[in-house]
Parts: sequence; structure tokens; C-alpha cells
Amino acid sequence: MAGSGPVLRVENLHKNFGGVQALGGVDLEVEKGEFRAIIGPNGAGKSTFFNTLTGLIRADSGRTLFEGRNITRQTPDTLARLGVARTFQITSVFSDLTALQNLQVALLGYRGATWNPWRSARTIGLERSNQLLHLVGLAEVTDLLAGTLAHGDQKRLELAIALAGRPRLLLLDEPTAGMTARERLESIRLVHRIASELGLTVVFTEHDMAVVFEVATRISVLHQGRLLAEGTPEAVRNDPQVQQVYLGDAVIDAERDDPEGRLA
Amino acid sequence: MRLPLTVLLMVCGIAVPLVVSEFWTFIAIEVLVFALYASSFNLLLGYGGMLSFGHAAFFGVGGYATALLVKKGGLSVGLALVGAPLAAAAVAAVIGYFCVRRSGIYFAMLTFACQMLLYTIALKASGLTGGDDGITGIRPTGILSNSIAYYYFTLSLVGMALYLMWRLVNSPFGYALRALRTNPGRLRYVGVPVRAHQWMTFVIAGGLAGLAGGLFALSIGSIFPSWLNWTASATPVVMAVLGGLHSFVGPMLGAAVYVILEVVISGHTEYWPLAMGCIILVLVLVLPEGLTGWRSLQARLRPFGGSGGR
Amino acid sequence: MEDLISFFVQHFGWLQYPLVIARQLLAAISNGMLLFLISAGLSLIFGVSRILNFAHGVLFMLGAYLAVTIALLGPGTITAYLAALIGGTAGLFVVGALVETGLLRRIYHAPHEFQLLLTFALVFIFGDVVKLLWGREDHSMAVPSLLTGATRGFGLTFPTYRLFLIVFGLFVAAVLWYLLQRTRWGIFVRAATMDRQMLSALGVNTHRLFTGVFAAGAGLAGLGGALAAPIVAVGPGLHVQVIIDAFVVVVIGGMGSVFGALVGSLLVGIVNAFGLLAFPSLAVVLTFALMAVILIVRPWGLFGSRE
Repeated sequence: MAGSGPVLRVENLHKNFGGVQALGGVDLEVEKGEFRAIIGPNGAGKSTFFNTLTGLIRADSGRTLFEGRNITRQTPDTLARLGVARTFQITSVFSDLTALQNLQVALLGYRGATWNPWRSARTIGLERSNQLLHLVGLAEVTDLLAGTLAHGDQKRLELAIALAGRPRLLLLDEPTAGMTARERLESIRLVHRIASELGLTVVFTEHDMAVVFEVATRISVLHQGRLLAEGTPEAVRNDPQVQQVYLGDAVIDAERDDPEGRLA
Repeated sequence: MRLPLTVLLMVCGIAVPLVVSEFWTFIAIEVLVFALYASSFNLLLGYGGMLSFGHAAFFGVGGYATALLVKKGGLSVGLALVGAPLAAAAVAAVIGYFCVRRSGIYFAMLTFACQMLLYTIALKASGLTGGDDGITGIRPTGILSNSIAYYYFTLSLVGMALYLMWRLVNSPFGYALRALRTNPGRLRYVGVPVRAHQWMTFVIAGGLAGLAGGLFALSIGSIFPSWLNWTASATPVVMAVLGGLHSFVGPMLGAAVYVILEVVISGHTEYWPLAMGCIILVLVLVLPEGLTGWRSLQARLRPFGGSGGR
Repeated sequence: MEDLISFFVQHFGWLQYPLVIARQLLAAISNGMLLFLISAGLSLIFGVSRILNFAHGVLFMLGAYLAVTIALLGPGTITAYLAALIGGTAGLFVVGALVETGLLRRIYHAPHEFQLLLTFALVFIFGDVVKLLWGREDHSMAVPSLLTGATRGFGLTFPTYRLFLIVFGLFVAAVLWYLLQRTRWGIFVRAATMDRQMLSALGVNTHRLFTGVFAAGAGLAGLGGALAAPIVAVGPGLHVQVIIDAFVVVVIGGMGSVFGALVGSLLVGIVNAFGLLAFPSLAVVLTFALMAVILIVRPWGLFGSRE
């Protein structure tokens, strides 16, 4: 079924948290190969949306479809094995294991192979793990404990872990959080390059406009739990509603992050 | 494990009953049993990151199952010892189903409550369990009544069980377990059904503890409800921490030291609990990585599979 | 059908005798008060430091032993009795402070298994210390002269001492309430129960607070022991059952909640007393089953904070 429809389709997603409506009916469609950014001011519902997509939270109503298949009620581990991978805003790796072992665990997990109680796991997936580590630029540190890696390297490791299962959809939660401005652009370019090479569809949330405009093919703007605007970066940038909602944030961000004036 | 060390251990293991008195052969049997018991506990804590306050429950269930199968069921020792881990694993399956739904202190308290439930059943269901009097007279007859023979019997069973455990912790399941201890949340997102894995670990650990309990019950010929009282749940924790949680052999070493300390100290004074309490204090305050602590330090700087194994 | 009737008669026949019910209820409440003193301390200690103090039972027991010894100065007299109460409370307060500063303080950031082991070690150590100091036989303490005998009221005869326990227990509960709700210390304690990090970020001396809470908890346990001494057999096995009941109460009431400890204690007291009437052999199982159910369904208990 892949290729004959949108990779990801979200229909009328609602989520209420004790009286506060975090998501008030979000509709979204992402085509294969897109690099889709989800942006919106604080409290717009980006995290809730993301967590609902990835199975952490259950939506109150609405549907999520991955390659035409209903994944609304699926658990995170099932989603992962179906080909939907995610990374985390706060870097989350297996700090007591080496970088290599992190990848091996990921490979075993995505394949559903963690029930084997007998086979020696030391050499499982060595080639692919090393390949992935090389892809994200961590070939030098494969035998270091993940907890001892620098923050930027941990982020790369996270990316490698997400890629381990050959996902067809990659969900990145604030992938450049905690980085310096220069690291951010480098990092998102790396992700973009890899995604293009591997033919992945990527959906990511982001606060930093410079990062968004660097790589996004389409942008969806969330505001107060609803989709405010959607379209090409140009279209969104020039959308008066978006400008109004973002005016406060964008001015501050622009002056700090965007001295070249990419933002209107 | 380093090969020469393993070989040395095996040689020692085989030679022991041939060079020591009968009394010390009994102690050696106890060491073997508790090595298995402590290792089973460490599967939960050191590898899986789950602290159970109620692991003694499965040791006790194994003991009672064996005692009942031998005394009331008339089964042979061998069959009774198949029943022990199965019974313990079955109980662990039920208890574990509820316990893994919680984590941290609530998990621990739930295991504690379940152990106390079993304790009261052992105490009250006197028709079945003999109540306060326990079950006695279950020493093996025939060949195994000889302590040396029983020692080798225990050695082979414990050795086999530990080998199986060794393969488990180095298998894909074992890797998932270590990742689970480190970051259970993340593990779900790489496709691992975490709760199911925790449950399975609980069942396996329970089964292994049950085997240990069965072997011990037969070796001393009796079993009492006190095996299931809450004070008994400290034993596996002490042994595992004493030896070191972060290595495969740590708990076994801890068990050996613990058993020998108990024998020696109890021989001189009736205040073994006092001594044990002081030892624990020293352990916790001064030597938190246990006796194999220096190894864990090394392992941190080397890739897995080098020395000691984690 | 006949079997069903006889089943009901056997297990619930007591329901037809209001005097029996009343007497059991009073006994249950008086036991509950003793349990409350222990559980309140346990709950507070857990709420503030997240340490489950397995040694709380031996602290109770130590209080009882101290009271017995002090009361020997004037057995049966009120002054000796008061001295025993004060001695038991103050003595355990000091013990608690020493244990906290000397031992517990070093392991607050250690993994849970170390905290478990440390409190277990205290159980083993103090359990043997009482044997060393007081021998293995049971001791007893005379009920003070004013409180002996029974009181009559509403057609009931009930031991005066137990009535005193109920009244005194409520008094202590009121004092605790006042301390927690109306004093600065109380505010810190309640805040610590909810969010420890925030408290130290606000500049509160958490070290002193933890010491104070642990000492207070120990003091309460000691008071409970001293109060219980005239009506229980004070022997080395006294602590074993007590800590279990306290755990059950703290789970039911909610870890960190003193009010929960009160409600839980009364509940456990009542379930125990009437459970014993209805199903003597099953009563004990009931409490653990209840504990397990609460942990499965609502682990933060009736009044604890979700975490």
C-alpha cells in the first residue's frame, strides 16, 4: 500500500485534559518524502499532538493512519515495529550501554527479536549497527558508554537508534533542543541529508524558525489545538494569520536567531 | 567470564566435598543453593532494574512445593525438583502480572504484600502446609542421602541453572533487560513490549529461586513458614549487594561470603542478626559496589564481553 | 439452604449482639490509636524522605522496653507512668535523631536497595540489642493506678486504660494536626512531602528538616510503645507484627498523609477486630489482600499524593 496515499494521515484528532482542550480537531496529511515541520506558539498543542501520534497519549476521538493503516490505538512498541520511529526532545539513550550496544538493542527491538533467551547477542547486527553509527558520524565512539558521550553525540546516537529499524516515518520531537545556533543548523542538515538518502518521510516539531526554513518542504502551524495554516514555507511565512499569532514570538526570535531577516 | 577463572571455580567446585568434612560439605551445598538464589534475585535487580521486597516468596514456594510433592505426593526427588521451579514460576506469573503494572516503591511494596499473603497462607493452611510446624522429614533417601552425592547433585543442577542464566543475560532478551534497567521508557519506542519482558523476567527469576528453595528444603530436610516471613526477604538482597550487583558472579560470591560468615559467626555467638546488621551497615556505607566493585569500575571502561561480563 | 444459614450464623452471628459490636469497636479503636502513632511517623518519614523505614517496628518496641524499665521505679504509680511515657518518647526521639544524622543521611541519594538494606540492618541490630539489654523473656508493665479496672457506660463495661488510649490518641492526633497545619515546621513538612527539590531550592535547610521528621516519627513510635507497654507482652518479637500492620495502614491511608494514617489505622483496627469475629483464620489474610488490592488499583492510597 505504500506509495499509493499519504504516509501519515490524521483525522479530526481531539484531546481533552481535564477541561483544557489540547487538541480541538486536527487534520493533517503527510506525503511520502516530505520534510514536514509542525510549528506553533507555546501551548499550541504540538507536544500533545506528537505524543498522541506516537502512542504515548490516547486521543479522545479522531483517527491516525499510517500508510493507510489505522494506528490510533496502537502502543508505542507496536508502532515502532510497524515502521514509525521517533526521537525525544530530552535526549534519551541507554546510558549504561555502549553506543554499539544501543544500536544492537534497537535493532533487536525493531525486529521483535528480544524474546530469544539463548543466542549470544554480542555479534548480532554488528555490521548494520556500525553502518548506522558511521552514517550519523559516531564511528569513533562505538565502544564508549552512551552516558559518557557529549550531548551532541547523544543526539546523533538517538537519530541512529531511530533509524535502526528502517522506519518509513520518522517523528522528531524538537530535534535541535538544547543546541547552540550553529549546532542546530548542522544537525538538521544531517537529518535532512540522511532522510533524503533513505527516502524517509519526516515530521518534526520545532521552535527555531531558522531550522524550519532551512529544511522544511511543508509547514503546518498549530494554534490553540487547531491547525491554523498549512503550506509551503513561503506561503506560511506570508500568511497574515500566522504572522499575527507569531508576531510577538517571531520578533524576539528573529532578532536573536535570524539576523539575515529570513522572516518577513 | 574469564576462562581460567571459570575453570578454577569449576575445579574448586568439584573438589570441595572430597577435601572437607561432612559439615563443610553441607555448608558448601548451602553456598551453591544461595548462589543460585542470589543470582536469581540479581536477574531482577542488577539486570532488570526491579527491586523486589518479596523474592523470598518464590524460594519458599519452591521449598514447600518440593516438600509437599515428596511427602504427600510420594514423588521422587528428581521429579519433586522439577515441580519446585514450575510451582514457583507459576506463582511468579500470577504475582508478577499485577506487580509489573507498578514501578519503583509501589512495585516493591506490592511484592512485599504478596509475599506476606503467601506467608499467612503457609501459616494458616495447616492442613496442607503443616502450619507453624512446617513440614519435616523430607531428606532424600537412597543414594542422595549421602551428603557428597547430594552435593554433586546440587552442583550439577545449580551449575545448569546458572549456565542457562548466563546464556539468558547475554542473549537478545538479556540485552533488552539491561536496556530496560537503564531506560525502560525509551525501550518501548524501539519496539520492545517492556511490561511483557518485565513479567517474563519476574517469572524466570521466581522459577530459579524456586529451584534453589527446593534444593535447600531437601538438603536440610524440612521447611517452615518463617522462610516466607518478611525478615527473610532481606537475605537475597544482602547477598547480591554484598557480592556486587553489576556482575554475573557478584551475587554468587556474596552468597558464599554470607553463608560462611553466618556459619562462623553463629558458631561463636547467638547474636548473628546483630553481626549481620553491622556487616550490612559497613557494606552500605563503605562498600556500596560490593566485593566485585572494582570489576564494575573496569567494565565501565571496556566494551562488554571483555572481562567479567556484566 | 440450611448450610447457608449455619454459615451466616457461625460467621456473622455476633451482629445480633450490639454490646458485642460496641465492645469490639472500642477495642478496635484503641488498637487503632496505637497503630496510628506508629503509622503516622512512618508515613511522614516516607513522605518527606521517600525512605520506607522497616525499622519503625523496633523503634516502637524500644519505646515499650524503655517504658517498662522506667516504670519499675514506681510500678503502678502515675508519676512513674508519666515518666515512662516521656522517657519512651524522648528516648526514641534521640535515637531517631542519631540514626538519621549518623546513618540515613548518607544514603538519601543511594539506590533504593541500599536504603532498604540500611533499615533492615537496624531491625537486625536493635532486635538483638534488646535481647542483650533486657534478655529474651517477656516483660510487663503495670497499668497505672488511676487507669486500672473498667468503666461502665451505656450498659457496657470497658477497660479504662483502653478508653484512655482512645482519648490520648485523639489528643496526639490533634497536636499533630496543629503542628502540621498551623506551624512553619508543619508547612515545610507538608511541602517536602509534595516536592522535595523545590523545598531545597527555596533555601530551606532540608537536612535539619529530615532529621526533625525522622526524630519526630521515632518519638511517636516510642510513645506508642510506651502506651502499649501496659497491655502487651513486651518481648523481643514485639516488632515483627507491628511493622506489617503499619505498612498496611500507610498503604491504605496514603504515604505521606497523617490524616490517611489515622483513617487507615482505624480501618485496619476495625477490619482486624471484626474480621477476627467473622473469619478468625482468614482475618490476617484480609489485611494483606487489602494492601495488595490498594497497591494495584490506587497505590497512593486514600489520601496520598499521586506521583
